[in-house]
Amino acid sequence: MKLPKAVLGAVLVGLAVQ
Amino acid sequence: METAPRICSAVACNLDADILAAVYPLLEEGRVEALEWAFDALYWAEQVPEWFEALLQAYAQAGRLIGHGVFFSLLSGRWTPEQQQWLQDLRQVASRYQFDHITEHFGFFTGQNFHHGAPLPIPYSAAALRIGQDRLLRIADACRCPVGLENLAFAYALDEVRRHGEFLDQLLQPVNGFIILDLHNLYCQLHNFEVPYEELIALYPLDRVREIHISGGSWEDSALTPARRIRRDTHDEAVPDEVFELLRLTLPRCPNLKYVVLEQLGPGLRTEASRLRFQADFGRMEALVQPQRAGLAAGPGNAFRPPLAPLTAPAAEDGQLHAQQRQLSDILETAGSYEEVQRRLHASALAGTDWRVESWAPHMLETAVNIARKWKQ
Repeated sequence: MKLPKAVLGAVLVGLAVQ
Repeated sequence: METAPRICSAVACNLDADILAAVYPLLEEGRVEALEWAFDALYWAEQVPEWFEALLQAYAQAGRLIGHGVFFSLLSGRWTPEQQQWLQDLRQVASRYQFDHITEHFGFFTGQNFHHGAPLPIPYSAAALRIGQDRLLRIADACRCPVGLENLAFAYALDEVRRHGEFLDQLLQPVNGFIILDLHNLYCQLHNFEVPYEELIALYPLDRVREIHISGGSWEDSALTPARRIRRDTHDEAVPDEVFELLRLTLPRCPNLKYVVLEQLGPGLRTEASRLRFQADFGRMEALVQPQRAGLAAGPGNAFRPPLAPLTAPAAEDGQLHAQQRQLSDILETAGSYEEVQRRLHASALAGTDWRVESWAPHMLETAVNIARKWKQ
C-alpha cells in the first residue's frame, strides 16, 4: 500500500526521537 | 483509495524504534499491505505520538488496520476489574481507529497480578467454554468488528494438542469468530510432541482461519531429558525455513484467509543484519502469498461479522477454576524442584480433574515452570 509522503516523512522524523 | 489485495502481506508493527527501523524500508516501497498493532501495549500511554497516529490512521482509513490484544487473559476463572477496564479501553480505541478485526490469545495469565505472568492453557471443560464464549462476545460488543483467537504454542500433553483446534472452534461459534493460525506456534507443537503436520492440520477448522502469523523462536535444552530440545515461541529470531514450508503447505487450505503477518520483536531487530534479514523474510512471505491470490473470489466467503446482541447477564466466572489456576500458578512459580512440582500437583485441587495433570509430559511441565518463572521476574 502506497503511503502518503507526509506520513512517511512524519514516521522518519518520529523514528529519530523514538 | 487502492483496492486491498484478496490476501494482504502484513507486519506486526508497534511503537518500537527497532521494529519501525526494520519495517520502514518496506513502508517506503509500498509493500506493507496491512498493519497489525498490539493496541493494548499502549493502554498506559497518555497519548500516541502524532507521527505514529498518522501511520495507524493511514492503514485504518484504508480498512487495513488489525488489532492484536495481549493482556486480556481471556480464560482466567475470575472476572476482574482490570478486564472490565481493558474492555472500556478497547471500546475507546476502537472508536478512534477503524479496525478490520480484533484478536486475542487463548489461555490465562499466571501470576497474582493482571498484566504479569505467562499465558498458559486450561482444560477444555464446559466451564472454560462458557467463560471463553462469554468474554469473546464482550470483546465484540466493545470493538464492534470481527473477533478472533490465536492458537497457543504451549501444551502439557499430546491429547491437548490434538483437541486444540476443535476447542477453538467451539469457543468461536457464538461470536462467529475466526482463528489466527500462528504457524510458529504450530511448529512448536509439531516438534515438541513429534506429531506429523498432516495429522495435526487436519484437526483444525481451516475455514475459520482469517489470519496467519509467522515468526521465529528459539531452542531450549531440557534438564530432565538431556537429549531433548524444546522449541519456544520467543519471537526473537528470523523465521526458520520449516515455518516457511508450513506457510506454503497451509495457504491453499484456508479459503477465508485475509492477512498473513510477519512478527518479530524489537530486541531481535537491533542490528543492521537482523533488519535486513527481517526484510528478506518479508520478501519470502510475499512471494508465497502472491500466487495464492489468483483464482480466489473478490472477498472471503465468511466476513466473520459478530452478532452484536445486547449483553445483559453479568460476566461469566467460575470460582473453582479460579482456585485451580491460582494453585497451579503458585506451584509453578515457587516449587524448589521438578520433583516438588510433581508432588504438589498430584496433591492439589487439579489432581483427578479435567486438568489431567497425571498425563502431562515431563519436558513440557519443566517448560511451564521455566515460563512462569521468567514472567514472574
